[in-house]
Amino acid sequence: MSTNQFSRRQALASTGAAFGNLALSSMLAQEGLLGAESSNPFATQATHFAPKAKQVIFLFMYGGPSHVDLFDPKPALDKWDGKEIPVFSKEDVFMSGKTKPFAKKSPFRFARHGESGIDICNQFPELSKHADKLCVIRSMHCESNNHGPALFQMQSGSIMSGHPAMGSWVTYGLGSECNELPGFVVMMDHQGAPVNGSLNWSSGFLPASHQAVPLRTSGEPIAYVRPRPGVSPRRQRGQLDLLARWNQQYADANPGEAELEARIAAYELAFRMQSRAPEAVDLSKESKYVHDAYGLTEKVTQHFGRNCLLARRLIERGVRFVQLYSGGNEGPRAWDAHDDLEKNHRLHCAETDRPIAALLNDLEQRGLLDTTLVIWGGEFGRTPTAEGGLGRDHHARGFTMWMAGGGIKGGTIHGATDEFGYHAIENKVSVPDLHATALHLLGLNHKQLTYRFQGRDYRLTDVSGNVIQEILA
Amino acid sequence: MHLNRLAFTKADSLRLIVFGLALLATPANGSADKPDVDDLFRKSVQPLLKKHCLDCHGDEEPEAALTMTTGLGVLAGATSGPIVIPGNPQASLLLHVLVKDAEPHMPPEAQLTDAEIATISTWVAQLDLNTVVGRNIVTDEDRNHWAFRPLSTAKAPEVDNKDWARSPIDQYVLSKLEQKQLVPSERASKPTLLRRVYCNLIGLPPTPEQLATFLADAAPDAYERVVDELLASPRYGERWARHWLDLARYADSSGFHSDIDRPNAWRYRDYVINSFNQDKPYAQFVTEQLAGDQLEHPTADSWVATAFGRNGPSNEDNMGSGLAKQQYAMDQLDDVISTTSNVFLGLTIGCARCHDHKFDPLTQRDYYSLLAYFRDTSKQQLTLDSLASAQPKLTPSPTKPSTKTAEQAVAMVLTSFGNKPTETNILWRGNVRNKGPLVQPSVPRVLAADDRVDSPKTRLQLARWITDEQNALTWRVLANRIWHYHFGRGLVATPSNFGKLGEPPTHPQLLDYLASRLILDNGRWKSLHRAIVTSSTYCQTSTTVEATRRQDPDNLLLWRMNKRRLEAEALRDAFLSVGGNLNLKMGGPGIKPRIRPELLEASQRNKWPQIKQESAEHWRRSVYIYVKRQLQLPMMEMFGAPSTAHSCARRENSLVPTQSLVLMNDDFIAQQASDFASRTQQQAGDDQSAQVSLALQIALGSEPDENRIQHGLQFLKTQHDTLISDGVPEPEVDHQALTDFCHVLMNLSEFVYVD
Repeated sequence: MSTNQFSRRQALASTGAAFGNLALSSMLAQEGLLGAESSNPFATQATHFAPKAKQVIFLFMYGGPSHVDLFDPKPALDKWDGKEIPVFSKEDVFMSGKTKPFAKKSPFRFARHGESGIDICNQFPELSKHADKLCVIRSMHCESNNHGPALFQMQSGSIMSGHPAMGSWVTYGLGSECNELPGFVVMMDHQGAPVNGSLNWSSGFLPASHQAVPLRTSGEPIAYVRPRPGVSPRRQRGQLDLLARWNQQYADANPGEAELEARIAAYELAFRMQSRAPEAVDLSKESKYVHDAYGLTEKVTQHFGRNCLLARRLIERGVRFVQLYSGGNEGPRAWDAHDDLEKNHRLHCAETDRPIAALLNDLEQRGLLDTTLVIWGGEFGRTPTAEGGLGRDHHARGFTMWMAGGGIKGGTIHGATDEFGYHAIENKVSVPDLHATALHLLGLNHKQLTYRFQGRDYRLTDVSGNVIQEILA
Repeated sequence: MHLNRLAFTKADSLRLIVFGLALLATPANGSADKPDVDDLFRKSVQPLLKKHCLDCHGDEEPEAALTMTTGLGVLAGATSGPIVIPGNPQASLLLHVLVKDAEPHMPPEAQLTDAEIATISTWVAQLDLNTVVGRNIVTDEDRNHWAFRPLSTAKAPEVDNKDWARSPIDQYVLSKLEQKQLVPSERASKPTLLRRVYCNLIGLPPTPEQLATFLADAAPDAYERVVDELLASPRYGERWARHWLDLARYADSSGFHSDIDRPNAWRYRDYVINSFNQDKPYAQFVTEQLAGDQLEHPTADSWVATAFGRNGPSNEDNMGSGLAKQQYAMDQLDDVISTTSNVFLGLTIGCARCHDHKFDPLTQRDYYSLLAYFRDTSKQQLTLDSLASAQPKLTPSPTKPSTKTAEQAVAMVLTSFGNKPTETNILWRGNVRNKGPLVQPSVPRVLAADDRVDSPKTRLQLARWITDEQNALTWRVLANRIWHYHFGRGLVATPSNFGKLGEPPTHPQLLDYLASRLILDNGRWKSLHRAIVTSSTYCQTSTTVEATRRQDPDNLLLWRMNKRRLEAEALRDAFLSVGGNLNLKMGGPGIKPRIRPELLEASQRNKWPQIKQESAEHWRRSVYIYVKRQLQLPMMEMFGAPSTAHSCARRENSLVPTQSLVLMNDDFIAQQASDFASRTQQQAGDDQSAQVSLALQIALGSEPDENRIQHGLQFLKTQHDTLISDGVPEPEVDHQALTDFCHVLMNLSEFVYVD
């Protein structure tokens, strides 16, 4: 393919610069196939400017956590409890018929935490200790109040399917610093996948090698990374030796076909991954203290705790983008509190509070927090008004997310919703704004990170997005 | 002022309107001789905008995405919606915010004078919706873009090496090579050629018997006869349909939230396979897919073909209500017309949905005029038996997953049958809240030979216009696609983009020759296939010649054949084939081969069945695999099967170690390797060197040399010892060792690539 009209980055991506984002460069270099003088087309990609963060952990609270019950206290809801609020609009309702215009006060209490005095609800006692690390964005808004499209938008910027997830853009933009593991890893909740399934972490129109690789916490960590039962390393080595010999003969007979050389390297790397990927997810090496800290020894926290600990191990090993889901499947198994908000959020807060706190603490202690951007949030928030008696409906007009770590000004609150928590009104932050900011922290200009597809240059932020300057450290 | 404050709540805008009305000077309407509105804009309005607005609303990072550098930019509005209602300054947000004390107020730090506001108000009042758009007159230069010109009728060029140039194709290729003093490569060996043409035309490697027959056939036309056999084989349709299904973003489920099954989607897939096997004329093929319901005598096939407009992802049951639903309906139509223009015309008209195309002479008017042909279509389910009666039985397609199977055979169709005509408006920024003027169905102006010629009015006429032999673009696009699938690279490297940002053709005259040939052949593909694969160009070796490579590293001039990797489907089919397990049953509902249970969790709805052991029913050709958008068969996905979210003109060809992991550790491949070993043992008997030799022949389609056989024997011996020390019972060891050998063969680059 001629590259004259494509960006260099794109040209490289299309030849497979990544394994699930693995830089082929390093594969070749490691196998001694790249001479010192040869230019290395697959090297880790240059950033547009000096990055603050190198890696990302996206803690995805699937189902839509309720901002007015967690991070955005609204005394007005106590005052207006059960009364019709003036900002309510029927058009914003997802569960028509069930969702009322009447305010519903929060079942939880708030207090200010840290030197910064950030308001956090009493369901997050552990996270509250890290308030000064957080930048709470209270003015998020998105384009759909419906799980499927809203999930797509939070992942990819577009409410339609077929666009690359942020993690795919990031590995496309930055390459990988890790050879034995994929660059974009996703860990589902133990309750299963969110709606849209694997389309949520699809690489869309980017090469498929940029899609996330799901990591499992039991059995085989990455699909196909274990030899089949009964196949010993020696037996497989025997096969690979013959394979390498004949593949080399074929490559020698076809000089100039770099792909054939790379293919030989790929097998050697794959062979090594078989031992190293399981090591990455082997938690038995972690101390009891660590297990306790992440809540692995307690029933309610064990699943999400394990994923958080794995996230730290993956970050240590250079994985570029880790996405963890809290909440799986549908309804109460996710943060989708239609029926009983208090019960739902008590559970999901309890599942995640300690693990997330431990993760922030652990990253900080290991000196990783400075270069790791942590993002917390769901696909939307929940209505300040009641659905049925006890629940809250989906809400896209205003909700909360927070960020911490690499390049983020901790201990800040950015933006605001109106007195009911209905509309984002101050310093509104769109999903593309959030994406632009995350890319900025990674050293990427969201306007320059493009991929040509169907006749135009696409971006994660498409035609909008502004970096939120106010929250940068 | 921060841009976010401009995103009004409804209450805000109401307040504005109340205040604004009282304060606005009503412009003088209906004056006898209106000054030219453009003139007014250029002379009076634009300087004001330039002075006061462009700091924030210029071309670079405009606040609220509002660009005020041009009149159209102002009309297109901001993220919050339109700011100007043509002819109605009172209702135009732009004029509200200019008024003193307005909240928000623009410009933030200044106040326009009453006279200045009046000027803008006059301009808005004089704007006429129907004249402010689509006036980008197509210029002669636009029409002169290489892809839009009439086909060249020049004769094939003279060449020096007349022996090599067996056909006009070769003359075009050789002439360019000779100009650069390059020589073409030698003719490939018979075994190489046979494997190439098999993989290419039918997507399966030749068996040792087929190879032996071909090698024994010394007749000069032995190769040509093989080509004819392959083109006559039903396997041909299965192979080439797969290319078309890529373009048609074919899948068996809806994707999105619920990934609803499409239990009848396979009828379209079978329609495509049959069409290729019948060598259906392209005009008919296109017309059936775009307007099969509007034909004078629609058939079951032509109805089924309309699923071309249905194959994209959809989310009927879960896309909200009101405006969200209207927007969704437009997104669905966008999928249809973007795919239509990509696939048939090589144009990226989707780019003109929100604004005029930035590079090609395609306007928003062109976009919505093309959309107008499809505006009155709906997604229906057709009871096929009802076609015998006068009135086809159409029911709305189910929007919820259904557990019961239909009692009668039904097809998913896209049709306007029985629907009311629906008007189409231009939508500024593609936003349904932001309606522009009405448009009539019409083809992109740049493609109309003359502005005065009437555009086709109906979808059927559109299809006939697309496939008219005067429409050079259509035929060029088709010729290039066929070439692309034969050589791995089109003469135009961007097969679905023939616009200005697409790659120009490496051999424009050859492209025109191929397109003309297609027209002469009545749009039948097989004759062109025959011409291509029997050309000297196609029959070259794929080996690199270093000196030539330095001059033309990408082989743009075709001095050799390109080496190509088998696509996902061809690779799986080849595994089944060497395993002796390929089940050639054709057609019908898709198959669901085994996916490891732990991978099934990533699909949220309508789960894939858990299968313990695969059997013959799963071992059909890969074109019959059920394409589930939320969960593709891992091997397909890993080796570049398209995502199906959009039309795919060119497969990605990533090379990553996870592919090696699959080929090493997947159960399916292990099983095929084991069966490959069994059949080798059966045919070759107990002699190990006969086994090695036969296995090599089956896998690579050539006679193995002695050296290789020795390596193979050495491997069997070492592997035997390893297996014994691994505790494998003695009676199984020989078979296991041979299985391991066969497994290695299936991983070889020579197996995975076509020379």
